[in-house]
Amino acid sequence: MTKDIREDIAWAKINQDVLKSLQTPRPAYWVILFVAFCVFSVGLGCEIYQYNMGMGVSNLDNPHAWGLYIASFIFWIGMSHSGTLLSAILHIMHADWRKPIYRFAEAMTTFSLITAAMFVAVHLGRVWQIYYALPYPNERWAWPNWQSPLLWDAMAVFTYLSSSIIFLYVGMIPDLAICRDNMQSGWRKKLYTLMALGWEGTDRQWRNFRMTYLTVACFLIPLAVSVHSIVSTDFSVSQQPGMHVTSFPPYFVAGALYSGCAAIISLFIILRYVFKFEEYMTLPILRKVVRLTFAIAMVWTYLNCVEFAATWYSHDEAEKAVLIQKAIGPYAPFFWTMIFCGSVVPFAMMVKKWQTNIPIMFAVSLLLNLGMFLERWMIVSPTLSHDYWPWQFDHDQWPSMIQWGIVFGSFGFFVILFMVFCKVFPSVSMYEVKEMVYHRSLQSKKAEAEAAAAEGLVGEELAVKGAN
Amino acid sequence: MTENDFNRRDFLKVLGWGGTAVALSGCGNTSIQNGEEIITPYVTLPEYVIPGIANYFNTTCAQCSAGCNIKGRVREGRVLKAEGNQDSPVNRGKMCGLGQAGVQNHYNPDRVTKPLLAGKEVTWDQALAAINDKLGGVKGEEIAFLTGDISGHARVLLDNYLEALGSKNHFAYEAVSPAVLRAANKRAYGVEMPRYRIDKAAVVVSFGADFLGAWITPVHFSQQYAQFRKGARTGGRGVLVQFEPKMTLTGANADRWVAIRPGSEGALALGLINAVASYGAKVPADIAAAVKEYTPERVSLDTGVPFEQINKVAKLLVERSPSLILAGDAAEGYAHGMQNALAIAMLNQVLGNVGKTIEAPASLPFPQLAPAVGNRAALVEFNKGLAAGKYKVVFTYAANPVFSAPAALQFQNNFKKAEFKVAFTHYMDETAQAADLVLPLASAMEDWATVVPEYTAAPEDSHADTYVHMSFRQPMMDKLYPDTRGIGDVLLGLLKQRKSDDYKGFDDFYAYLHNAVLKNKVALGGKATDGDDEFWNATVSKGIVPLGGHANKVAAKLTAADIKLPPVAGPDTAYPLRLVPSVSANMRDGRNANQPWLQESPDPLTTVVWDSWVEINPQTAAKLGIVEGDIIEIASRSGSIKTQAYLFPGIHPDVVSIPVGYGHHGMGRYANGVGANVYSMLDPVFEEQTGELALSETNVTIARSGERVIVVKDEGAVGGSQAGRAKIAVQWPIDKVDYSKEV
Amino acid sequence: MGVANLLENWSKFRHTHPVDDKGHPDWEAYPSDIKWAMAIDLDACTGCNACSVACYAENNLPAVGKEKYGHGHAMHWMRIERYWGEDAGVGQFNADEGARFLPMLCQQCEAAPCETVCPVGATNHTEDGLNSQIYNRCIGSRYCLVNCPYKVRYFNWYDYPTTQDVWPSPMEQQLNPDLTVRGKGVMEKCTFCKQRTYMARNSAKTEGRPVRDGDVMTACQEACPTGAIHFGNLFDPESQVAKMWKTQQVELDKDKQAKDESSDNRLRGYRVLEYLRPYPSVMYMERVRETAV
Repeated sequence: MTKDIREDIAWAKINQDVLKSLQTPRPAYWVILFVAFCVFSVGLGCEIYQYNMGMGVSNLDNPHAWGLYIASFIFWIGMSHSGTLLSAILHIMHADWRKPIYRFAEAMTTFSLITAAMFVAVHLGRVWQIYYALPYPNERWAWPNWQSPLLWDAMAVFTYLSSSIIFLYVGMIPDLAICRDNMQSGWRKKLYTLMALGWEGTDRQWRNFRMTYLTVACFLIPLAVSVHSIVSTDFSVSQQPGMHVTSFPPYFVAGALYSGCAAIISLFIILRYVFKFEEYMTLPILRKVVRLTFAIAMVWTYLNCVEFAATWYSHDEAEKAVLIQKAIGPYAPFFWTMIFCGSVVPFAMMVKKWQTNIPIMFAVSLLLNLGMFLERWMIVSPTLSHDYWPWQFDHDQWPSMIQWGIVFGSFGFFVILFMVFCKVFPSVSMYEVKEMVYHRSLQSKKAEAEAAAAEGLVGEELAVKGAN
Repeated sequence: MTENDFNRRDFLKVLGWGGTAVALSGCGNTSIQNGEEIITPYVTLPEYVIPGIANYFNTTCAQCSAGCNIKGRVREGRVLKAEGNQDSPVNRGKMCGLGQAGVQNHYNPDRVTKPLLAGKEVTWDQALAAINDKLGGVKGEEIAFLTGDISGHARVLLDNYLEALGSKNHFAYEAVSPAVLRAANKRAYGVEMPRYRIDKAAVVVSFGADFLGAWITPVHFSQQYAQFRKGARTGGRGVLVQFEPKMTLTGANADRWVAIRPGSEGALALGLINAVASYGAKVPADIAAAVKEYTPERVSLDTGVPFEQINKVAKLLVERSPSLILAGDAAEGYAHGMQNALAIAMLNQVLGNVGKTIEAPASLPFPQLAPAVGNRAALVEFNKGLAAGKYKVVFTYAANPVFSAPAALQFQNNFKKAEFKVAFTHYMDETAQAADLVLPLASAMEDWATVVPEYTAAPEDSHADTYVHMSFRQPMMDKLYPDTRGIGDVLLGLLKQRKSDDYKGFDDFYAYLHNAVLKNKVALGGKATDGDDEFWNATVSKGIVPLGGHANKVAAKLTAADIKLPPVAGPDTAYPLRLVPSVSANMRDGRNANQPWLQESPDPLTTVVWDSWVEINPQTAAKLGIVEGDIIEIASRSGSIKTQAYLFPGIHPDVVSIPVGYGHHGMGRYANGVGANVYSMLDPVFEEQTGELALSETNVTIARSGERVIVVKDEGAVGGSQAGRAKIAVQWPIDKVDYSKEV
Repeated sequence: MGVANLLENWSKFRHTHPVDDKGHPDWEAYPSDIKWAMAIDLDACTGCNACSVACYAENNLPAVGKEKYGHGHAMHWMRIERYWGEDAGVGQFNADEGARFLPMLCQQCEAAPCETVCPVGATNHTEDGLNSQIYNRCIGSRYCLVNCPYKVRYFNWYDYPTTQDVWPSPMEQQLNPDLTVRGKGVMEKCTFCKQRTYMARNSAKTEGRPVRDGDVMTACQEACPTGAIHFGNLFDPESQVAKMWKTQQVELDKDKQAKDESSDNRLRGYRVLEYLRPYPSVMYMERVRETAV
């Protein structure tokens, strides 16, 4: 069994490898960044058009008042759970194989949340009055409506975003110091000096650092679980059949972890290839992530079955009708693709040979995320097409190109943010990798010493015996 | 100061001017105060105007011929909305959607605002001069007027003008009109338009009479229907049975709706006479003999109605009385329409309904004000004259024959044969486009008129027998466009050209009307000693003038000799389906197609908006492989149109139905190009006895054109299904129930 | 603006809704002598759509045109739904017993699903029992429309005042100045003609008397040719509406009506989707069909 990481990597080499990723990018980088920018511009253009014309250009209507905007919002929030999972949850569980990969995951969390926040704005009919959702002092003595899940969303996402930014930043401080110490003068040096906050690496600083990091991690875990539960209450608190499902909070959290892990696999493979991080983002670690993803996939599948079972044995005719509509109505292709991607494709991750097969795992991770995107959409549209009121059933409403444009634009936005991050900040946590290497080598040495001691003892006995 | 409070205020001092005094802005309107222009700034408001509080002025709706009395809600010098006038015996404070859209006719952006001579804007003086010029040297018989229904003092002026011209050619044409029924009623009851008392009936059997939708005076009949269902006068909830080839709005409200083979309404009526006899009704021997062969079994074959159904209805008619049998557009729309209507009238007679649920209206003491009611035979005759080149100068008013005449009549070509064509109109509709001179009319919200509706509604009191009324129409506000004129003003202007001595004392129609009213104070319900101003103001502000008419009696005049039905026609193999055009309450004959509320208001039965459609029975459609949205070509011997298919359960399998009033070219942005014009493809078949264009005699064939669209309609993906959900639109079946005491 | 204000409003809110477990609302805490309600007699309704057009005229509703209507953007606050009998099975329509028309408008629910979910509190309950929609507070999240089981809320998908051919000059002169014309991004719905009830309440207050039955008619009620729509104050025992609800034994704050009826005197009043417990303020009376024919 190969080790998660080579234990004899010199610390200087770690620095060198990671800092190399911050060098001037190759032409391919600029090309991809440009493409991402174009995609984002399409989205931006669509949003400007929608802002000026009105929400009608998205093809939303009565009864389909919600569509891909809400679905994308939830999708991006979901993706953000990856970082928290890796940084915080696995940190508390002392799973140190997360160390080489959590940095980019945490970055992904932050950027997913920013992208998700944009969808809140995109989705509103009167974006310019979005501040009404804030409890600011006003002459009408009007508070926002605390009963509304959308408001809880606003509070929760805002809290989660700010906490994630803090977490990401705080966790980067020792690395930023390394960057600062290893850079030539220029804008980078200035930036790192500023951001490293004078980190010297003294004992006291390390102690404080550890305490802070642990505190924020402990704070962030319940926050992450609650954020997606709150987001799920957008649906579970409503009255609509197909949305009004009690098991949504855990279902959504499971789905979030699911899509987050799938995204981690995708980005893992990309960064490993682009920055040549094979030493750090090793195949054993990939295997661990893949197996974790599979476990979460099964949890998600189970919760899906819980939802279907509850629908089956309930007396809720409207709920049953919606499920049947999902299965055989106009949304059926998307529903079944979701089931396939979400519950069938993960089994590819149990094939040992494939767990470290880069192309297959990359494809699988993309399919898993496709499934997760469809899942969010399948909660919104089928219900609205076939809810309580037969006169308003609308089986023929699809998002317009404007809606799709904005959704794709969000991916472009995310890619821009991520690509810039990877070139400005170290996407592998240098100090944590050093820790990992150190601790592992200590462990190995200890194990070797014990083994040698055991052997040596025998040898001594023999020598003693021989001497006798 | 409140709105309610103000309505009780003493109007006598100020009103009668309506809203005109409120927003004068010196735009050249000389119809007020002896020709003096009065500019009233808002600093000095009329004393009855409080900004923010509306005033209500009574007037009469002009959206159809029912003549409902309405009041306009006027704020700050402009009319906003119409409500019903509670004191009206016609509509008693209620209104239909078509009436509500009257404000959209008034404020329509596509109204013609200036006279147009050969497409160029001219002044009224120039226009009237042009008419005078063209009339020079033309004989009386070479002049013709084609108008819609016209009554009251405008009719008087029109009659006088025709007399001055020496012309007898007034053709009153309405595309939607119960003309055959009128003739049949005259023969059967002695009056053309009796008072139908749905509220007094225990059972109503309607042969396609859409009295809740677009038949004669729907708001009035709807009121009666409400009482009918409550059983207010009969002590039991009334039962409605509807026989027709295609379901109308009234049919949708029936307890039993029966699809009937088109044309066989008369046979069914005779079958019912036969059947009621077997259930104990007293049928005179000669009539019984005449209907002997119309057994339920035979009639069932002829009509497609199951004979058990015929028997059930007959039993009901015998057990519950009085009843009322109505002959609607569908029954009269055939070459033998008169015979159908007579058979149906005979059924009324046999059941003893004449005099109970069929009453005679009082006679109008001023016959010159009586309505000249339109029919389609007038168009046919007018067309013949045009074709023969008889008419040199023609005038059209409240009629759009270029649109609504079937193409087979070649009306558009014949129309061109007249040398000078003048159209009085609101819009550049098809007829206006073909005219040489277009004269823009003021809308009904800014015009003076008196109106006598054809159907005489009376309040339920001791004077009902002698009650007849004349309604007033007064402006709700100042004219929107200074160069539009009311029809009264136009006719007066024309009369002054011919008989200046008689009319020079009147500056305008207002003055003429004012004088006419004051000259007849006693006849109009006042006293000879009433002050002029007081009497005028009181009359106009009330809006309804009851007139003491002469009571009449209906007679039951039919004999066995009147029963005569042609044999059932054989199938037309080349054109296997029958086209029954439908008339919807909002669209009617299409004159209101440019009012967006009406286009946006879903057809109650199909919920289609902003387009026409062809209704096809689902079984027929399945056989032909037609689904909803297929663009279908419907072809008759006389033409073809294309429109979208709608599968409709309420239609006979051998019938297709297309609504009239769609398919305008021009007219305005909301009407142009919307839907297809079914009038154009009707076969030139005429009712034998009246010469009326028979609307339901067109045989067609339908074919898919290959195109398909998504039908824009209000109903959702499951159509009219309740999707198995509990308690949405609940219907409770019961035999005999009395709601007269229900709160 | 303080927390005290927030808590007081919360308390009022919890006490104004007459939900079953709380029994009758705690009106001592928040007294009101008016609760607007409607009773619609489906046996009298002919489906003519006069009420719908009158509503357009009264409430400045835009006629959106064919394309937008086809995209589901119609703005009819009062819509007439037409159902068929389905004796042969769901989806198998039979027309021989006529059609069933159902005028559907905002039911002004006492426990409205829409009120709880608006993030900014643009929809609330008024003291006279209406579900209010505050246009200038609305940020257009459309959660209220998603949560409405009747889907009777209408969103301004476009800016109709500036859209071509919606109110081309001089049609804007027809607009009712008693209420706003809504711009894009705002949710709207039937208000039981708030501008009229407001006027009636003011008039009554000025004259020092309570609002009498018949003082105010909604536009739909006023137009209806058969008088199928009854509107009035449910808390006034002399009002037509209160009498009708009482006769039909429909109570505002129950989700299952315990009707005391003998078999030949069926009470035909009911409310739609009552089992979802929104406690609607509109009572419908079943259409009746004579079985002798």
